[in-house]
Amino acid sequence: MKQIKKISFWFLVMFLLILICMPGIWIFVSAFRPNPEILAKPANWIPDRWTIHQFTQMFSINGYVSVPAFKYLMNSVIISSVSTVIAITIGMMGGYAFARFNFKGKNKIFLGLMLARAVPGISLSLPLFILFAKIGIINTSFGVILVYVAMNVPFTIWLTDGFFRQIPKEMSEVARTDGCTRLQAFWNVELPLAGPGIGAAAIFAFLLSWNEYALASIITRTVHSKTLPIGMMDYLDEFTINWAGMCAIAVVMIVPAVILTFIVQKHLVSGLTFGGVKG
Amino acid sequence: MANVELKNLTKKYGDVIAVQNMDLFIPHNEFLVLVGPSGCGKSTTLRMIAGLEEITGGEIFIDDQLVNEKDPKDRNVSMVFQNYALYPHMTVEENLGFSLKIAKVDKKEIEERVKEAVQILGLQELQKRKPSQLSGGQRQRVAMGRAIVRRPDAFLFDEPLSNLDAKLRTQMRTEIKKLHQKLQTTIVYVTHDQVEAMTLADRIIIMKDGYIEQIGSPIDVFNNPVNVFVATFIGSPPMNILTANIIKKDAKLFFELDENILMPCPESKFDYLSKKENVIIGIRPEDITPTISSNSSENIWNFEKNIDLVEPLGTETQIFIKLNNKEIISRMYNQREIKIGQKIEFSINLNKIHIFDKDTEKVIK
Ligand SMILES: Nc1ncnc2c1ncn2[C@@H]1O[C@H](COP(=O)(O)OP(=O)(O)OP(=O)(O)O)[C@@H](O)[C@H]1O
Ligand SMILES: [Mg+2]
Repeated sequence: MKQIKKISFWFLVMFLLILICMPGIWIFVSAFRPNPEILAKPANWIPDRWTIHQFTQMFSINGYVSVPAFKYLMNSVIISSVSTVIAITIGMMGGYAFARFNFKGKNKIFLGLMLARAVPGISLSLPLFILFAKIGIINTSFGVILVYVAMNVPFTIWLTDGFFRQIPKEMSEVARTDGCTRLQAFWNVELPLAGPGIGAAAIFAFLLSWNEYALASIITRTVHSKTLPIGMMDYLDEFTINWAGMCAIAVVMIVPAVILTFIVQKHLVSGLTFGGVKG
Repeated sequence: MANVELKNLTKKYGDVIAVQNMDLFIPHNEFLVLVGPSGCGKSTTLRMIAGLEEITGGEIFIDDQLVNEKDPKDRNVSMVFQNYALYPHMTVEENLGFSLKIAKVDKKEIEERVKEAVQILGLQELQKRKPSQLSGGQRQRVAMGRAIVRRPDAFLFDEPLSNLDAKLRTQMRTEIKKLHQKLQTTIVYVTHDQVEAMTLADRIIIMKDGYIEQIGSPIDVFNNPVNVFVATFIGSPPMNILTANIIKKDAKLFFELDENILMPCPESKFDYLSKKENVIIGIRPEDITPTISSNSSENIWNFEKNIDLVEPLGTETQIFIKLNNKEIISRMYNQREIKIGQKIEFSINLNKIHIFDKDTEKVIK
């Protein structure tokens, strides 16, 4: 009886897992087969013929054939990393300030930051477009980075504020009586302790920038600044849609994100145990 | 070598007064203990000396230098916190050497001084461990080691032993005392623990609501409390306190401890007390004992009373009686058979009773 229970439990788990992963699997499979097969009815689950045609076209050495995926990838990498680094730096300092200092209107400012998150990004697209066009940063990586930093900072503040709060304030106090300035205490003690939390915040910020579509679709216009999610639209022609190409570029998007998450996650889990304080 | 001086020190948090007009001179090498009920401003005082708390008013001098504007890092005092606050991401060794590393002392000397502290505190086996791999007592020791390594002008301890179990606490207490003798440094030590205060202190400060109630050597504070608060705060079990009417009889004064129990008032107090209707009487439990036939000297006064409760503790027996409806504890050091409800004779040494004004609660000299 117990055995049956266990087996049926595993079947259920497997079933749900497949269900959840289905779209992902479909994308992967479709990236490696010719376009007509994707549209076959009834669906053809296992490709008859595997091909990396889409990838060679995107990344062909003598210049791309279909879509400049390499350029998009580079744009994505640069925009996401730079905006993450900036957002984390600013957000971390903000989070620290909220966690450690008392200042006038602290709670209101904090609430304001959270409310800013509640505004749907797309509602800002038109004002942003006009503004950016006026000051001439439309269709630049800089413009996109600016937007992503603004998007990520409040969330990073909120997240790191929580992590800094968890560190007893005696930690920095003892460091300061040990001869540190406030900054040294932060750098040598509080930052290493908040490391895992900041790592988590960084992943969130990076993924948000990496996957963002709505605003980028308005601010970026050409190869010069388009990111991968926008580049995907290049496969949308007037009369046809190159599903295989789209799936292939989706794979290019998904793989680095997944790898990155795995790498950083390992650090997060192996993170520090708080033994310095009583226990 | 450093003394610490506080002049008119005040700290307010908004409307809350944490420390009020505190004046204090701590000479070099003194072991000063701050005691007082929770929230009386002990930690705040310590943190102001360390520079971790901004002061609202007054001045702090360390080694005769005004340090009001100095950062904690420039005050050269070490603080040991109740929760130890060891750096969790560093080994014991790194914890100990951290302050020197920040001060950019060269590696050789750091090693030597860490080694010295390790030896003083017996941490040899633990150098490579992280704080999470240490027991409470060991963490406590590392925290003290970290304070020692800097060779500070003064140590500030904020209830350093209160997270340890009773046995370890006793052990660490002796170690702190030895450490003080070895290091010859000024120590300001905050504690809740009576025994710690009495055994460690050169001088004790009893605080209440941000004020200093009394300063003195442990024995002085114990024998001559200046008010009811200090009297009941120092000593365990606490001093018995009861209100008694003053009765005039044959040109003499008596305190009515209970119906038909009249304790003679010392003659020296006649003048002051003849104008009063009642007073607060304080008697330490050890000064009110069941009469032994031999102890009838001049200043001993006896009375009889029924026993409410008996608690034998081995070395002593605590006897509970009621006087003026207040529970009174008496300590008996000989093991004599006593039953609840029994009426026995008690002796009070009249030289040792404390008399306080009913209104001001201050001692009547
Ligand atoms: N950051 C703060 N903001 C407002 N009030 C505070 C703050 N820190 C302390 N206080 C108040 O100041 C008073 C003194 O606090 P303090 O921590 O010095 O007490 P303590 O004597 O150390 O007590 P305990 O024995 O419980 O540690 C208390 O009334 C406390 O509520
Ligand atoms: Mg305290």
